Amino acid sequence: MMTNEDLVRDLRLSDGAARRPYLAGISCTRLASFAFTALALGTVGALTLIFILQSLPVWQDEGIGYLTGGKWFYRVQTFGALPMIYGTLTVALIALLLAAPIGIGAAIFTSEFLPARVRLAVKITIELLAGVPSVVYGLIGILLLRDWIYELFARFDLLSGDTLLTAGVLLGVMILPTVMTLADDALRSVPAEQRRAARGLGLTATETVLAVTIPQAGRGLIAALLLGLGRALGETIAVFLVVGRQDNNLPANIFSPRAWLESGQTLSSKLGGSETNIAYGDPLHWAAMVGLALILMTMVLAATIGGAWQRKTKYAPSI
Amino acid sequence: MKRLLTFVAAIAATQLASAETLKINGSTTVNLPVAEAAEELRAQKKLDIQVDTQGGSSGGISGVGDGLVQLGMSSKSISDADRAKYPKVNFNPIHIGEDAVAMIVSRDVWEGGVKSLTQQQLRDIYEGRITDWKDVGGKPQRIAFFNKEPGRGTWEVFAHWLYGDAKKAPQVSFPEVGGNEETRNKVSSTRGAMSQLSASWTDNQKVFALGIKADAGEVVQPTPENIVSRRYGMSRPLFLLTNGEPQGDARTFVDFMLGSRGQELVKKHGYLSIAELKQR
Repeated sequence: MMTNEDLVRDLRLSDGAARRPYLAGISCTRLASFAFTALALGTVGALTLIFILQSLPVWQDEGIGYLTGGKWFYRVQTFGALPMIYGTLTVALIALLLAAPIGIGAAIFTSEFLPARVRLAVKITIELLAGVPSVVYGLIGILLLRDWIYELFARFDLLSGDTLLTAGVLLGVMILPTVMTLADDALRSVPAEQRRAARGLGLTATETVLAVTIPQAGRGLIAALLLGLGRALGETIAVFLVVGRQDNNLPANIFSPRAWLESGQTLSSKLGGSETNIAYGDPLHWAAMVGLALILMTMVLAATIGGAWQRKTKYAPSI
Repeated sequence: MKRLLTFVAAIAATQLASAETLKINGSTTVNLPVAEAAEELRAQKKLDIQVDTQGGSSGGISGVGDGLVQLGMSSKSISDADRAKYPKVNFNPIHIGEDAVAMIVSRDVWEGGVKSLTQQQLRDIYEGRITDWKDVGGKPQRIAFFNKEPGRGTWEVFAHWLYGDAKKAPQVSFPEVGGNEETRNKVSSTRGAMSQLSASWTDNQKVFALGIKADAGEVVQPTPENIVSRRYGMSRPLFLLTNGEPQGDARTFVDFMLGSRGQELVKKHGYLSIAELKQR
């Protein structure tokens, strides 16, 4: 048990720089934090390296066709990942199309028009959405969204309610809190003086938002979208449950929204499926599955790094 | 310091306890009676049993192969490929019952007049030559075929029955479904839907089991009598899977499944018991 006296002694010890623990002249705190950072970075590096090494056989076997091939039949050792890359990008794009206007719109409202207290309440409520486990979203998707999309687009003669659109809409809801809360932070980081100056020049509240706040928070808003995109790309279980998991369903025209009403497969739904179990032990098939993970990781990393970079380099506008 | 030691000891203790957990994984089909048996054994003999259905039959086989579980559940036989993949493992399948695979359709198809199909019609649908129910005697409606995902025992039985060997089945890409529950839900909520499903899961209220029409025009339903007599061909054995002879709790579990109560559970879930199969 720590007595009161112990506590007081501890406090005294920690008081004053001279008594901080040092190891060979280097602060232990510094050393420890360096070690943890190195560990975290090393894990990412090692993971990437393992993914590259383990996926080597499929690159050797399929070459660039692994990325551009439209057929995936593991039973005859044909591996083309394009339909899954298409599925992943399409689903994430739909999610962004939905989450961008709603998320940024909500952020403008909370940050520019709500009193501070209410703003926090609204923000926390929306952030609660981010705490809902993704499998719950998936189940809601199965229960409500599938049937809703199925009936809503019935005249397009859908084959079933499991479509890229269903997955995209579900993902849109899931990344909404990320987009909204980061966009809100970006808008709040614009100094109040700027707004006051604008209002002082006679701009209305709306004009201030459109002409001053949004342009200045621009990079932060893009960062919010990119980080939302990163989350959408990697999400697995909710997508898995409603995307239909149909391989090789590459549409004739990949820009056609009509194809959004078809079942598809994403990189993550493929990885979350039963093939990962089967692939283990077959070097080429396993390499192909690890290769999918590598592609997915590259995409998520690109979005996340892009987002972080946009967020970091803030600038004062030259007026 | 004392507290830390207590903490470490507590963690060590839970580790030791979990080492005795009987882990079971595999086919959702076999899971039905097994999960219920596990519940009874937990209550009666205070056994610590954990039952999971990750990856279907393949998940059960690889679980035993990798030594992750003591008992696998499989609704397909161990193939030579499985044995080659795990050369050090002595797979020991224990036959606990038999189940048939039914071709199921949604209500609108059933009420539209499709009650049975021939093997040839099934092949045409599977290979995409027939895509509308009107071509097999139903009302005009696109066929939404949900294929069982790779590794599922149900799919293996279907492909084996339709093509003589699962390896000879053509490469097709349909939307995929996993466990029996998902299959039933998706088929019942989609117009013109069809899939393969464990016969015991068909209820003829939400999803409807098609009969198989012989070339002579005779229709065979997936009933227990027809499965025992092998007139209905799409059936499969249900296995518990161990590495070598089962030991300890695994032994207790296997004995329970093969005993009278375990076999009652097998029958309760619509499967054929070992005794019934011996009438063959």
